[in-house]
Amino acid sequence: MWLFLLLALAFTRTDAQASPVGGTLGAVGSDTMAGLVLRWGEALKQRHPEVTIQFQAAGSANAPPALIAGTARLGPMSRQMTPDEKQAFTKRYGYPPRELKVARDALAVIVHRHNPLKTLSQRQVDAIFSTSRECGASAPITHWEALLDPTEWPFRHIVLHGRNTASGTHELFQQRALCGGEFRRDISEHPGNSPVVAAVGESPGAMGYVGYSHLNAQVKALSIFDDDGNTIAPSEEAIQTGAYPLSRYLYLYVNAPPGEPLPPAERDLLALIFSPEGQRIARAAGFVPLSETVRQQQARWQLLSR
Amino acid sequence: MSRLWPWLCAASVALSLLMLAALLTLLLTRGLGHFWPATLESVTLDSGEIIAGEAVRETPLPHRDGEEQLYFTGNRDLDGNRWRWVAIDHIAERGAPRTLVRLERSPWGDFIGYLSAFESASERLEGDAAWHALTAALAHPTRERPSATLVLQSAAGEMLRQPLNEIYRAHRPNAMSWWEKTRYWSQGVWQFLSEGPRAANTGGGVWPAIFGTVLMVMVMSVIVMPFGVLAAIYLNEIAHQGRLTRLVRIGVRNLAGVPSIVYGVFGLGVFVYGIGSSLDAWFFSDSLPSPTFGTGGLLWASLTLALLTLPVVIVATEEGLARIPDAQREGAVALGATRLEMLTRVVLPMAAPAMLTAVILAVARAAGEVAPLMLVGVAKLAPQMPVDDEFPYLHVERKFMHLGYHLFDTAFHGEDMQTAIPLVYATALLLVVIVLVLNLTAIFLRHHLRHQRGQSC
Amino acid sequence: MTPPSRPTYSALTSSTDPGRQRLDRLATASITVGAFAVLAAILAIGIFLLWESLPLLSLAGTFTLETLSPLAWGTLKAALAAMLLALPIALGAAIYTALYMPPRLRSRVKPVLEMMEAIPGVVVGFIAGLILAPWVERHLASTLVLLVWLPLSTLLAGVLWHSARQSLRKRLPFSWAGLWLTPWLIAMTFIALWATPGVEHVLIGGDLRQWLDQQLGVNYATRNAMIVGMAMGFAVIPSIFALAEDALADVPTSLLEGAQALGATRWQALWKVALPAAGPGIFSAVMIGAGRAVGETMIVLMASGNTAIFSTSPFEGMRSIAAAIAIELPESTPDSSTYHVLIFAALVLFLFTFLVNTLAEVVRLRLRTRLSRMGDRG
Repeated sequence: MWLFLLLALAFTRTDAQASPVGGTLGAVGSDTMAGLVLRWGEALKQRHPEVTIQFQAAGSANAPPALIAGTARLGPMSRQMTPDEKQAFTKRYGYPPRELKVARDALAVIVHRHNPLKTLSQRQVDAIFSTSRECGASAPITHWEALLDPTEWPFRHIVLHGRNTASGTHELFQQRALCGGEFRRDISEHPGNSPVVAAVGESPGAMGYVGYSHLNAQVKALSIFDDDGNTIAPSEEAIQTGAYPLSRYLYLYVNAPPGEPLPPAERDLLALIFSPEGQRIARAAGFVPLSETVRQQQARWQLLSR
Repeated sequence: MSRLWPWLCAASVALSLLMLAALLTLLLTRGLGHFWPATLESVTLDSGEIIAGEAVRETPLPHRDGEEQLYFTGNRDLDGNRWRWVAIDHIAERGAPRTLVRLERSPWGDFIGYLSAFESASERLEGDAAWHALTAALAHPTRERPSATLVLQSAAGEMLRQPLNEIYRAHRPNAMSWWEKTRYWSQGVWQFLSEGPRAANTGGGVWPAIFGTVLMVMVMSVIVMPFGVLAAIYLNEIAHQGRLTRLVRIGVRNLAGVPSIVYGVFGLGVFVYGIGSSLDAWFFSDSLPSPTFGTGGLLWASLTLALLTLPVVIVATEEGLARIPDAQREGAVALGATRLEMLTRVVLPMAAPAMLTAVILAVARAAGEVAPLMLVGVAKLAPQMPVDDEFPYLHVERKFMHLGYHLFDTAFHGEDMQTAIPLVYATALLLVVIVLVLNLTAIFLRHHLRHQRGQSC
Repeated sequence: MTPPSRPTYSALTSSTDPGRQRLDRLATASITVGAFAVLAAILAIGIFLLWESLPLLSLAGTFTLETLSPLAWGTLKAALAAMLLALPIALGAAIYTALYMPPRLRSRVKPVLEMMEAIPGVVVGFIAGLILAPWVERHLASTLVLLVWLPLSTLLAGVLWHSARQSLRKRLPFSWAGLWLTPWLIAMTFIALWATPGVEHVLIGGDLRQWLDQQLGVNYATRNAMIVGMAMGFAVIPSIFALAEDALADVPTSLLEGAQALGATRWQALWKVALPAAGPGIFSAVMIGAGRAVGETMIVLMASGNTAIFSTSPFEGMRSIAAAIAIELPESTPDSSTYHVLIFAALVLFLFTFLVNTLAEVVRLRLRTRLSRMGDRG
């Protein structure tokens, strides 16, 4: 039996390096983007049955180490790489990772579908979710009375739901909505986006934050006052233009040595992503497609490298 | 009062049985019910709006009296939503028109509405003819289908053009007879068991997960059995039965109580980061930095679970060995057999059913474990099976899918929990059935074994 | 259990063929090596965890303490909630099965109850976290009423049975009550579910969950200690039941019969004779159940809400050590301080369960020898 295993060891070939026509695309990264990457993979497989994507949705923080270690050549991330992460990559390979914007996403603050609340200011969001109130609110908000007329909404405690510490969603919300402050400790930290939606959707006194692509009819996404006092709803248009304050790009980092052609499988994947069809898939996965100018701009790099 | 206390004890048994039965019934009805073609309703609201969909559940409204009904309406490409909550008192009229169609398709998920035309290169069919053309086209395997476009109309009247190649199945539940529904249902169950997941694990089947689970427990059994049996033989047949052996035995038994997540931590730290990285450095340095064994995979998961099930195997085997009457051993030795001959000719054959029980119990335990696998190599979606036609056929370094983890993943990492829950039920049912059947076999074997021994001595 | 003193047969062998002898010695050696490999692997777990926790010594102790203390509290709270539900049911069931059930029925019911143990944690967690928790939140009053009403209605069944006619009592014997009480309990459950909302409306004018929130200011999280207690209680009932039942069934019948001959009722015999005799066994059953509850991962992960807070409220959530390891460890890079803290957490879990189980096992073995001595004397 051990002999057998050793044989298997000795003849195991890794596909990551040499990928002729087909091959496996290794990707490690964002859990938010799991649905998106897998759908692109499915569409790619329909066109090129010999190509497969192996994706490990471990959280954005895992993409840079995986790219640096070479575990994967593609790193989908729901946030931009930090300068430190980029530097570590450059130190290892001698060139920076290729950064591609592949779709737009947003975080939405959600409440129960029957909750009459419509809009929150960023300060209020901070006052609800944080202990430090870095955005400048004067007092914490823990009860619905502070936001709504109690006759309209007869619930008292705001029960909070969010993501676990390792997720990119958690980090982004901390930076953008809490102005870098500290989260309250009594937030339920769910190991995924859909349990947050489910939890808020089933309990009227709840509030939470979640990726835009996971919104459904169970919950209502709140509009946010921007700096000029306009209420901005998390609509597709507001997210695409970036007017909605909690919106962001989704990135794909590629380990691509400059001047060398991409392996065919990767080239095909990128061609798909920046085609109108690829952006339609992004929409079907619940994200917001890139605006036409950004899409063409991103596609150009990929054309050049062909 | 003392006459009544025993009643509470009796009720405890009744309650336990009841909870078990309730759990199994829930899984059975929901898990299998998911594939049954549900009636589609066409609902007219007070506002004059018409929606069509499957009624899912009713809950009381939180802020005023009354109930609301959740409908699965599909058509995410039209209004961006799959679900619709409707307050019951806002419903003006409900009906179930026979022509309502439900299409399973990609990438937008189900469509519910009416089929108004079937357009192929040569012709345009409408009404019932369109439906017949659609069912005829779907009867072909995916690659041989003609290219055609469906013209669809939602209940609200919006038109939609849908290419035929994005459609998997279609049915008109309101027009189906019981027999047709049963056939549709069994097709659905079969597809669930035999196909791979699609649309980012929100639909399709669980075949790769079944395969991965089975393969993992097989590799695990191959590893755990020799060691477990050797250890059991040593403890029972060779070791001096002193204080030390007793301590070791207690230690082994207690390992069965160590939380599985601890084994996962050990597997990650020692197998993946320790041994795996070293193996990569020695044998696969040409493919570094991309790790071959330095990341979770089938081999490490199997080894971790082998360690986890080792106590189960040792205890069960030892129990079997202990039941063999000493007279058998003495007889063999008296006839001049060495210890090896005594073991292989007399003891082991007699202990074979016990060893079989051991392996079944180990497999049943391993098939249901999820927590350690999350650390050592299970994948959300592993399109490459660990077994294929490429030498050496079994790729123990690959990641694999596992039913239990698939269940957790579809429920917690999916896009929409409401959509995922029926599939999760079906997966949970499958997992429970597998584990229970294995356990029943073990119980039966053990019972049979005791029975046989009882007669022979 | 193996008899403690069996001769090892190698000394007895009469064969003189050197080849066979050599082969035999070789086999013995390889078996011994295999067994020691197993032992080494077991020791390796402890050594690895200890070794990887060492770097923590160089870190500030407060960091470790601050991260781990809410987790440790959460673990204990979850285990406590589970034991609160599991103990009465498991022990009650064990007493009834061991002492009242006819042997044939017992041999059928016992495997069925042990079957509960086989249901994977991830399935129980799914049902508890995604199905039961929202249901309980909507029917909080009914759930709480059920917890009280089910035992009460059983007592009612007992009273009715004792005042019933002889013929009925013959047809529904008490020794089969474990089975025929099921429909009774189902009926009682439905009555409670049907009646509670009305009573709730009359007493507090609405939903209890809302009333708690508004009038008493009680924070109610959907996934809370009560849900975890129910789910994990379900999961540990079978292990407590199996061991406790074994312990009770091992009490020599002569003891019970003797007590009854002296005029004690069956319940008195149980209380005064069987329970004290089987006490250590029951203790070890409870310890092993507690060990399982402390280490269970998936149920807590899916049903607890993962809130790292100190709270004693049964309506608030918690985060346990095992669940934290499961979600955080795959995402922490090796050699980071989080990695070492989590490994240390695993070490704590390992040591705790190992100690608890060893204690239980030692007590159980003691009991076994004591009982067999008692049986001999009787």
